[in-house]
Amino acid sequence: MKEQLRNFYHAVFDNEWPTWLAGILIAVVALMIFLWQSPWNIAVGYANWGDWFYYFTGMYDKRPMVPWLHPVGLSNAGIIVGAFVSALMARQFKIRRAPKLEYAKGLVGGLLMGAGAAFSKGCNVGGFFTAVAMLSAGGFAMMFGLGIGAWIGLRYLLWEMEHLPSQTAYSQSKTGDETTGFDWRTIQPWVGTVVTVGVIAAFYGYSFVDKTQIGGWLFFGFLIGLIMHRARFCFVRAFRCPLMTGDAGTVKAVTISLIIYIAGVSVTKWAYLQEPAMGTYHPFFLGSFIGGVIFGIGMLLAGGCASSTLWRVGEGQTKLMVTLVMFALSNSQISSFLRTSGLGEKLGHGIFLPNALTWQVTIPLILFFFVGWLLLAVWNEETEKFVIF
Amino acid sequence: MELENIQADTVLDTRGLTCPMPLLKTKKALKGMNPGQILEVLGNDPGSKKDIPDFANKKGNEFIGMVDSPEGHTRYFIKKG
Repeated sequence: MKEQLRNFYHAVFDNEWPTWLAGILIAVVALMIFLWQSPWNIAVGYANWGDWFYYFTGMYDKRPMVPWLHPVGLSNAGIIVGAFVSALMARQFKIRRAPKLEYAKGLVGGLLMGAGAAFSKGCNVGGFFTAVAMLSAGGFAMMFGLGIGAWIGLRYLLWEMEHLPSQTAYSQSKTGDETTGFDWRTIQPWVGTVVTVGVIAAFYGYSFVDKTQIGGWLFFGFLIGLIMHRARFCFVRAFRCPLMTGDAGTVKAVTISLIIYIAGVSVTKWAYLQEPAMGTYHPFFLGSFIGGVIFGIGMLLAGGCASSTLWRVGEGQTKLMVTLVMFALSNSQISSFLRTSGLGEKLGHGIFLPNALTWQVTIPLILFFFVGWLLLAVWNEETEKFVIF
Repeated sequence: MELENIQADTVLDTRGLTCPMPLLKTKKALKGMNPGQILEVLGNDPGSKKDIPDFANKKGNEFIGMVDSPEGHTRYFIKKG
């Protein structure tokens, strides 16, 4: 019995989960969020945190929504905590430092991602993953933009590798786990258990004060963070790896995930269980496309997108903490600029594909599109036609 | 073969770097090596534990193994094919 439990623990918390499994689970949780209240996204949660900074420094007059009642901000916090718990369970949590150049890339990457997500009214999740699933035309425009941005970003990384001196000889954490007398890694799983109980208690707490729906976002975010960290699921890889190593694994996982997500959303919307046009506000074509390009460059520099920045913060990566702060500050500022200047409206408007093409055409068209993407990635894995390095 | 005793022809230090830099640098280092030579990669990004073996087993190279060092990083050994 004890042996069985140990094996179970090892399989769930020590071993890395396959990417495709995470893809399926993320689609399921994303669907639950959609049915629970509204489509899953991330960037507006970052913007809320940024708004508070500008409010406190006197740049914004309007008091933003309090963070603990902001659904998206709360689910973002849940992702960080979920990844933190996952890292603790695997005895992997550690404050991880990086060379100076990496911090600079994290900073610029965060700024670019915040700006890109403002243009496309959503990050790689809200502007692409969820947007596509909601059958919003802008999601596809952003996807093309992300591909181009990833190509430019990877070009930069290759240039950097050839021309900038390698900075790896930073002082290794001499205060490693073994030099301190007490190895705190042994108690990490216990801390993780306590935090998990805390998250569940918080959800019950929200429910107790009649905020069940809001509390749910924290819990769903927690699940996503846990799943993503267990599989190290990273949307960036779907765009970067085909160009870098040719590996198509993440393209497969994202395709599986999207097909499940799209199927679930289609059933829900076509049957009017949720408002059909919900979550289809993305500025097609220019806004989503430009946003995708800028975001794509940023995610290559930062080494994380909106979602994987959150889970990497949860496992203690200080570089991505810089990214998170810059993302929040730039997204808040540039979103507000696009709104007040009127420029945002000129960049396109939301199109709900079934309204434009009918349901009968939209569904097979999207299926063909993703099967095409998948086949292209698999073909590229063999031939390396798109590999630029 | 005891991993600790392997004498690598080239040692690549990626400690402190995160995805995708360790993998990019590994790919670059392998390009400059001769078949049969051994590359040792030092890294402490948890993501590398899957990425480097997966990558190293493709394209005719051989992943020999990995071992955690007492200093808290991991040593990866790859034989260029």
